[in-house]
Amino acid sequence: MKDADLAIVGAGPAGMAAAAEAASLGLGVTVIDDNARAGGQYFRQPPAGFRHTGAMFLDKDRARGSVLAAALRHPAVAHWQDAVVWDMPEPGVLAVAAGEGSGRVRAKAILVATGAQDRPVPFPGWTLPGVVSAGGLQNLLKGQRVVPGRRAVVVGNGPLLLLIGANLVRAGVEVAAVVEAAPIWNRILPALASLARAPDMLALAIRYRAVLARAGVPVLAGWTVTGAKGDEAVTGCRVAPIDTQGRLDRARERSFDCDLLVAGFGLMPSLELPRLIGAELAYDRRRGGWTVKRDADFQCSVPNVHVAGDGAGIGGAEMALLEGRIAARAVARKLGKQVPADDDLRRAWAKRDAFRRGLEAIYAPPASFLDLMTEDTVVCRCEDVTVGDIAKRRSELAGSVTQVKATTRLSMGRCQGRNCLVTLAAMVAKDTGVDMATIPLPRPRPPLRPIPIGDLAFEDIPPPDIPADPHLPRKQRA
Amino acid sequence: MSAIPRRADIAVIGAGVAGLCTALFLARAGRTVAVLERGEAWGESSGANAGTLSLQVKRNEVLQVSRRAIELWRDFQERDGMEIGFARIGGLRVATSERELVNLRKSQGEQAALGVATEWYDGNRLRDFAPWLGPEVQAATYCDWDSMSVPLTAGHGLVMAVRAAGVTVATGAAVTAIARDGEGFCLQVGSEIVGAAQIVIAAGAWTGDVAQMLGVRLPVAADINMLTISEPAPRLFDRVVTHIGAILSLKQYPNGSVLIGGGWQGTGDLAQGTRRTDYLNLVHNLRVAMQVVPALRHLRMVRSWAGYEGVAADALPLFGALPGVPGAFVNACARGGYHQGPALGEQMAEMILGRKLSLDMRAFDPGRFAA
Repeated sequence: MKDADLAIVGAGPAGMAAAAEAASLGLGVTVIDDNARAGGQYFRQPPAGFRHTGAMFLDKDRARGSVLAAALRHPAVAHWQDAVVWDMPEPGVLAVAAGEGSGRVRAKAILVATGAQDRPVPFPGWTLPGVVSAGGLQNLLKGQRVVPGRRAVVVGNGPLLLLIGANLVRAGVEVAAVVEAAPIWNRILPALASLARAPDMLALAIRYRAVLARAGVPVLAGWTVTGAKGDEAVTGCRVAPIDTQGRLDRARERSFDCDLLVAGFGLMPSLELPRLIGAELAYDRRRGGWTVKRDADFQCSVPNVHVAGDGAGIGGAEMALLEGRIAARAVARKLGKQVPADDDLRRAWAKRDAFRRGLEAIYAPPASFLDLMTEDTVVCRCEDVTVGDIAKRRSELAGSVTQVKATTRLSMGRCQGRNCLVTLAAMVAKDTGVDMATIPLPRPRPPLRPIPIGDLAFEDIPPPDIPADPHLPRKQRA
Repeated sequence: MSAIPRRADIAVIGAGVAGLCTALFLARAGRTVAVLERGEAWGESSGANAGTLSLQVKRNEVLQVSRRAIELWRDFQERDGMEIGFARIGGLRVATSERELVNLRKSQGEQAALGVATEWYDGNRLRDFAPWLGPEVQAATYCDWDSMSVPLTAGHGLVMAVRAAGVTVATGAAVTAIARDGEGFCLQVGSEIVGAAQIVIAAGAWTGDVAQMLGVRLPVAADINMLTISEPAPRLFDRVVTHIGAILSLKQYPNGSVLIGGGWQGTGDLAQGTRRTDYLNLVHNLRVAMQVVPALRHLRMVRSWAGYEGVAADALPLFGALPGVPGAFVNACARGGYHQGPALGEQMAEMILGRKLSLDMRAFDPGRFAA
């Protein structure tokens, strides 16, 4: 078992910033990240040795990411790459799967900086090849410089859509339309004061809009995708306006041809680790749904576990950088290090927080996207469970989330429920007329991500205590 | 909480495999039965076990019950149309050391004497028969009774079948007190009272708590068994695999997922309702599995979990009349109780109906512990 003052899970913006800060304050840091290179999603680095011709618009972020990642080479930082944290078997101990290097690390404090995932929103045809999530597309663009199509439509909800539309235009893709579910144009003016707190971000948004305008890309606000078309792969999509009551106006449906449909319905925090250890959560639809309750030092309800960045509640990379630093300082302070006052960091954080609130007001989505689904829409992609399958089991069982899971196998596949449980919870909430916040998701069970069984062969541990007669009770009498 | 019936001939406490099967056979004999379940049907041990129906891994004392149970699981699926996921694929029980070889030979002899024949494989015959076994496996016995099932769908199938037979299965219906009422019983469920002429305690690990409501002390231990399931994979092996020495059960489902169990212990406490996997035991469990089927090392595990199993001190079923309380019966806490459930239910129904039991169940009388 390895030891560390601070173990950081995730080497994205929050994790990298925290590692740099903690190391500079004299802590021994272990960073565990499941990617081959540091950066996370936002600062995703191409694979080592990867070459591409010509400068690209993404190089600025890339350069910034390289600088942050360089901090992980500090002698007080151990950077564990291609390593998956799969359990916290006891307080302060993380189980790590990393091939022959698999084992455990014991830390005085843990910082969870696991980032976000795309919010899954099923609609007819969403599983066709050529339909790509917003995060998935950014991953391809940043990591591999790959654009998986020639003519794209970008649909969904949230500030990422304009960015993705602009990135696709700059990558030479014909963008037929950007389709945003929130009626954003009417909402900008009231939010302007908040947005102005982060003029750099505001300038970026205006630049994306300008790129789209110059390319003649229509931005339909208050519209949503209603289906993807195609047999073997996506060939087009249908879109429809949403009226002021939040209903689809299918009479005004339009369609676009495309071979790439980017669907981004916002992000949600990757909460597997906080949920595994029983951290208290709060439901906040605007910050991605379930979020982690934290104190001013970003410590969650589990002692000595801090959660920073999008993995606590969606706030973006700039906020994550600040939260990582603030949390690292709090840990250093607790471990008796000399730490400067945080006033400047906290002021900067407050500005980002105000900007975030403005953005959330503009992009507040309709109550749900469940109306997009039909009887045969797939909800659980791993186990191929449709809306109709779920309805059948629910009528037989008056089913809770747990019972539907057990009898349909929904959420039991490789993605471990990441891409279906929120949809099932929303369906149950709608049918029973209760708030999403009252429907707890099933607690995750180890491993937090699928890991090779063979990884468990390597750690040096004491031999097992096999009972002489395995038939007899194995535990002490209750 | 679902609707609570006011009266039944027989009230069964617990909607796990023992309770539901008891209810099924009683309902088929024309009795009105109410199953009272404090949580969700099939929500504890019955839903959290491996679904292994290995006959040769059972203790000699429960061999007859376990064989009858395999016949009944098959009938549930093939005759009654329940989704059991039953498949009689045969099983191998492996030995990896000299001492285990001796024990395996001994066990084979004892089982043969009890009418369960298994076939011995070693050397090249073993490699030809099961080329997927690791080099450290020295010998194995093959039992063609050994079968598997899918506990999750089996539970759903059984609940549906029991309801179709006219049984009321009330969930969220915790029994909090039991009183004698003339010849029969009154059971307190929330603010409701259920009357029943006879009762069956089939409450698994909580059986001791329920017996205590009638003033009977019935000590029950709670094991916490761990299970791990892999991602779907191409066919690696085609039998149920168990182990004479180390604890292990292995099977690959039709969808390709491999289920790894055997009863390695997790941590937790029944009284506090806590349970989780234990890191070191889980690692040991998977290492034994990789030793026996080396190809498993290339699969990814997607989920591991821990479930309670109520066990009597001698790990034999608690089956029979509750001592000193006429009309009250116990059907619980068999080690491997999921496997034996249908037969235990059938025999319990026979006992309650006053028929002569088709199997000898005397060794399981709860009177051996009650004080």
